[in-house]
Amino acid sequence: MPESLSRRHLLARGTAAGFFIVAGQCLWLTPREAEARVFEPQVLSPEQCKALSMLGDALVPGAAAAGLAAYIDLQLQAGDESLLIGKYLGVDTSAQTEFYRAAADNVMSLADENTSAHTFVTSMATDSLSGWAGPPASYVLFVLRADALDVTYGTSEGFEKLGIPYMAQIKPDKPW
Amino acid sequence: MVRKDCDVIIVGAGAAGLTLAARLAEGGKSVSVLEAGPERKLGDLVSSQIWARKLKWSEPAVSESGDHKIGHAFNAGTGTGGSALHHYGVWLRMHEGDFSLNSDHGLGLDWPLTYADLAPHYDQVQAEVGLSGDSKQERWRPEGAPYPMPPLPLFAQSRVLAKGFEKTGRHTAPLPLAINSEPYKGRKACHYDGWCDSGCSIGALGNPLAVWLPRAQTAGARIEHNARVSRVIRNPQNPQRIECVEYLQGGERKTLHAEHIIVSAFAVQSVRILLSSATDKYAAPGNHSDKLGRYLMTHPAGTIFGLFDEEMSPHQGVTAGQLLNHDDYDQKDAPGGFGSSQWMIGHAIKPHDLLGYGTNRPDIFGAELEPWLKRASRHLGNMTLVCEDIPLPENRITLSDRVDSDGIAHAHAHHDLDPSAAARCAQRMSEGADIMRAAGASEVWSGPRIGQHHMGGAVMGNDPAESVTDAFGRVHDTDNLYVAGPALFPSSGAVNPTFTLTALASRQADHILAIK
Repeated sequence: MPESLSRRHLLARGTAAGFFIVAGQCLWLTPREAEARVFEPQVLSPEQCKALSMLGDALVPGAAAAGLAAYIDLQLQAGDESLLIGKYLGVDTSAQTEFYRAAADNVMSLADENTSAHTFVTSMATDSLSGWAGPPASYVLFVLRADALDVTYGTSEGFEKLGIPYMAQIKPDKPW
Repeated sequence: MVRKDCDVIIVGAGAAGLTLAARLAEGGKSVSVLEAGPERKLGDLVSSQIWARKLKWSEPAVSESGDHKIGHAFNAGTGTGGSALHHYGVWLRMHEGDFSLNSDHGLGLDWPLTYADLAPHYDQVQAEVGLSGDSKQERWRPEGAPYPMPPLPLFAQSRVLAKGFEKTGRHTAPLPLAINSEPYKGRKACHYDGWCDSGCSIGALGNPLAVWLPRAQTAGARIEHNARVSRVIRNPQNPQRIECVEYLQGGERKTLHAEHIIVSAFAVQSVRILLSSATDKYAAPGNHSDKLGRYLMTHPAGTIFGLFDEEMSPHQGVTAGQLLNHDDYDQKDAPGGFGSSQWMIGHAIKPHDLLGYGTNRPDIFGAELEPWLKRASRHLGNMTLVCEDIPLPENRITLSDRVDSDGIAHAHAHHDLDPSAAARCAQRMSEGADIMRAAGASEVWSGPRIGQHHMGGAVMGNDPAESVTDAFGRVHDTDNLYVAGPALFPSSGAVNPTFTLTALASRQADHILAIK
């Protein structure tokens, strides 16, 4: 987990590796391959992707490397076919893009060098973050944590990390 | 000459719709099923909680309000099999007292039939679908035929949790499930891999694709997918008669005419279709006394989690759970609140997704998370409370102001939980935490109260002034329009509704086949 969620950190660190959109397909890339093939978000801005990755990684370490930003961006492109957890929560797919943009913009504007990631997350959880605008911070935290858990532990690789047998009846071709 | 494209049109290819399609087609009727969603096959059902979200309701979104929302997107489904494609297979009979809520307690509504009326259909359906359980151990079970299969095996988690019930003077019995404990009617036995929510591709869980669809198709029923029904249309010369269904498919607006029309599109969409069928001249079918859409219900439910020293292997088993407790079910008016309740015990569980253990501990994050997840993946126990919802006329489905690009109004669902039902839920959740501790849990916590299952909205009753349909689901002010599925329920009980709605569909099929 990063010590802080400062803008400098956000801009300095991108999504390192994991699942990326290349030519419209979600692909698993090693860190070296990822360096060679740039992930280009289609819905969110690169800065917004970085902010969501950083917050997701603070909640669920490994989420950024597992491709959290690429996952969110890809699902936002999918419209009615989105697999994001927001679908369960009755959030209109048309409203989901603005939800993630607002979440990322809040993180970018409110994270600073002097606030630890732990404190930032705790403040979000209690909706006590001064200056937060848009969807409640605690709700954003719940949704982003669920997304981060999906990409990090919701796949056969994630199960393996936890030592759980996946026991697929039909293994999915792609993690999402 | 009156146009007739088939004998029966069924709107919705879920549990009720496909039960009716199979039975009516086998009875000699020509049947057409219109399903709003895409075609789904068992081979499409990949084992992934992420991909399983495709099975849930998608668009158009149903807007919601109230202090206990129904969770439409999570509970509803789309495509062949409907919501039953992702149901967990808990098949419980309603108790006798569930059918006489108003007579016995002065609350809500009575059913226009009794348990005895439905019992033969419970028996018939359980033999067709195949249920696993032990009726003798279910000391609370209403009278009925024993289950055709023995119960599923108990895994470590349930053996440990059962001790908590025993130590607090309570009883458990194997949870009766529409899941094969052994091969049944050509379908495989369960693998106990916990992928029920993804649809069970091996056909061990008795979802509509495994049971009713093959029978319906063999008997000649036609199924049109991506056919979204906008409304039903009255015969202008005889407005009691519904002459056709209007639907949209491939960008075209089409109509289909039949002798009988059955709307079985789950609670919210069934009501949406009927409400959208009002004209300047006539009220919406079934809305002659402003009862259509009212008495919407959802079971208040919550999960208790505990961490144990013992090896619990919570990945093993089935999502529904392995044990049942109904000790308090028939004490609806016991102190502390109102309503029946049940415990489903020992769910197979994943680390992620809405019901996953990782999602339900927001206080654990960062570097602490993975070690905690590893511990939980071996030592977690969990069980779910389901409580009765009290039918209230103010809880209702209406048409939203929002209209889609085809001019079809979206639905809106309002639901508040009666304070006495909320109190019962809180009371039982507190008891559940005590049971978990008695079982030996060193750490206990609970998930949020959620809305589980949808019922009501087009309730059946004997009095046309107080209900939408008669005891066979025929809409009161029509000759040939029926509603099927959970929309018919005048009260909710506290049991999962799929067995009852399928038994009702079985009864409706017999009734329609008997019409000369």
